[in-house]
Amino acid sequence: MTSDLQTFVPRPDRPPPADSAGVAAWIRKNLFSDIPNALMTLLGAYIAFTVLSAVLNWALFNAVWSADTRRECLDAVGRAGACWPGVAIWFENLIYGLYPKDQVWRINVGFLALILWMVPLWIPRVTSKIGIGLSAVMLYPFLASYFFLGGDKGVVWTGLIALGLTGFVIVWATALTETLQAKTAGAWLIDALGRANAEEKMQTRIRLLAVLAIFLLACLAVWSVSFTEVRTRFWGGLFLTLVISGIGITFSLPAGIMLALGRRSNMPVIASLSTIFIELFRSVPLITILFMFNTMLPLFMPAGTEVNQLLRAIVAVCLFASAYMAEIIRGGLQAIPNGQYEAAHSLGLTYWQTTSQVVLPQALKIMIPAIVGNFIGLFKDTTLVSIIGLFDLMNMARAIGEDTNWLGLFIEPFFVVSLIYFVFCFAMSSYSIGLEKKLATGRDTG
Amino acid sequence: MTKPDRMIEIINLNKWFGPFHVLKDINLTVRDGEKFVICGPSGSGKSTLIRCINQLELHQEGSIVVDGIEVEAKGRNQRDIRSRVGMVFQSFNLFPHLTVLENCTLTPLLGQQMPKVEAEEIAMIHLTRVGIAEQAQKYPLQLSGGQQQRVAIARALCVKPKIMLFDEPTSALDPEMIKEVLDVMVELAEAGMTMICVTHEMGFARQVADQVIFMDQGEIVETNTPEAFFTKPAYDRSADFLSHIL
Repeated sequence: MTSDLQTFVPRPDRPPPADSAGVAAWIRKNLFSDIPNALMTLLGAYIAFTVLSAVLNWALFNAVWSADTRRECLDAVGRAGACWPGVAIWFENLIYGLYPKDQVWRINVGFLALILWMVPLWIPRVTSKIGIGLSAVMLYPFLASYFFLGGDKGVVWTGLIALGLTGFVIVWATALTETLQAKTAGAWLIDALGRANAEEKMQTRIRLLAVLAIFLLACLAVWSVSFTEVRTRFWGGLFLTLVISGIGITFSLPAGIMLALGRRSNMPVIASLSTIFIELFRSVPLITILFMFNTMLPLFMPAGTEVNQLLRAIVAVCLFASAYMAEIIRGGLQAIPNGQYEAAHSLGLTYWQTTSQVVLPQALKIMIPAIVGNFIGLFKDTTLVSIIGLFDLMNMARAIGEDTNWLGLFIEPFFVVSLIYFVFCFAMSSYSIGLEKKLATGRDTG
Repeated sequence: MTKPDRMIEIINLNKWFGPFHVLKDINLTVRDGEKFVICGPSGSGKSTLIRCINQLELHQEGSIVVDGIEVEAKGRNQRDIRSRVGMVFQSFNLFPHLTVLENCTLTPLLGQQMPKVEAEEIAMIHLTRVGIAEQAQKYPLQLSGGQQQRVAIARALCVKPKIMLFDEPTSALDPEMIKEVLDVMVELAEAGMTMICVTHEMGFARQVADQVIFMDQGEIVETNTPEAFFTKPAYDRSADFLSHIL
């Protein structure tokens, strides 16, 4: 019987027909499928070519790369090409404002510290990411404040700066032990001391002592260095923009969450206070709030107290941003079905446990696009502080055209500033899309 | 006061939603290990009644005593009550952002401060019991409706409740999945759990219920053994209802 069976031999694969695969097929299918499509393609290509060639001619091919004044540029190419030397000479000011040149390294080190603080968040083997993220938000500002501001630090400020330094050291200690040994720095220390079998109370005491020792060392370190004071009116450029929007962003998210929860609260006083705050700050333009804080706040303060102008602007931006954030978050909270609350309550979870473990993780995930959109808006809105005389990136660019050597040089600086804004906003946007994809994996597939 | 074997004692319970009188003078006693099935037309107040027992709804008049603890009308002793009462919902209400295992360990870890190893051990025992242990690392939305409802039962059991409330646990399921959930409930009943089930699964009622309660328009019309209720209902309203669902 078996010998009667024929042997099945699968036919070899043939390549697909030339008109259904490959570059040529893609072009024909998507760009020239019929006459209207072909016309649109040609029109689009023409528009893209005209705009791009005009921009490139102006910015690159006809541009002047070395000159001492704008007059030299105009004499060389007229208005057909960009005059970059003015921007190049002012570039450092665009980034750092009027910060003293010999102190600029402090800004660089300060931002480097932030980047280093966040690096462990991208190392896959590090597990205490929430702790690291929180410490970056809560402790880094103390460290940065001294780098940026400098000057005379009292006892309290020294303590706070040392706290920031302690946080930085512990974050990296944890990142290292978790990457190399897969345990937290605390657990590693206890193992190293051979106390792994000690009581829990004893272990906690060892951890606390270690933190205290690091803190004292940090105090000593902070005490021994001293930076000259750079007053905030010398702050400017991209640096100032990042400071204002950075503080605004980190403040507005937690504040917005609290306001949104407050507005939905069953307690009438808290609910109405939150509602009043949100509606008040949302109904007034940011410029008005900035003016109010700048000119009217000093009138309400006791005579003699002076609140730093930058601080006033930051407070205004923070309050405005948190009112907006609150409404975004309230929208996200409303998307969570009532059954989730009921299930959590029926299991005996408290209000805060339900909110932090069940509701917010789901709500924040749906809200990522809206939240990041708000961050981007806030980042760009900080240009408004130029209205009250702060030299942020935008105002700094305008100052170039008022320099006697470069009088009237506005387009080039604004072009560069637009590119800088684009890089930051596009990075935030890409990060949020990446985050959405990452959080979506393995879930919501049903 | 309450005798120790009385798990739930409800006396003259009244509740209103705004002006609407949902529950009228409800009296009910459930002893330790008893299984009650509540049925009735929709809007009759059956779900509201069991939701009052674990304070998802607050009542306005009367008293509810659960395992010797008075359920306060103002809802201040929620945690004492809810740690004794487990609840399973019609729409499962699993937490979609947590795995099946994390759904089960969330309350023991947070509310009862149990060590993680122990909480996971207990969760796996209950997940094995409902036949879903191999899905422990999946997310709820990757499971079928019947599997999700079985996870919901396991999750409620992880809190070690003395009483289980079921609010139409099979109404949202496809017909072929109802049986796998009912099997778990029957097993639970045979193990001696005190249960109150709002359901129209009359086969289940016949098999496990000690008492069947028929509710209409906020009142308990009839309380009877399943045998008597199905063969010889005492009221015309219950007979009419039975003629529609059997």
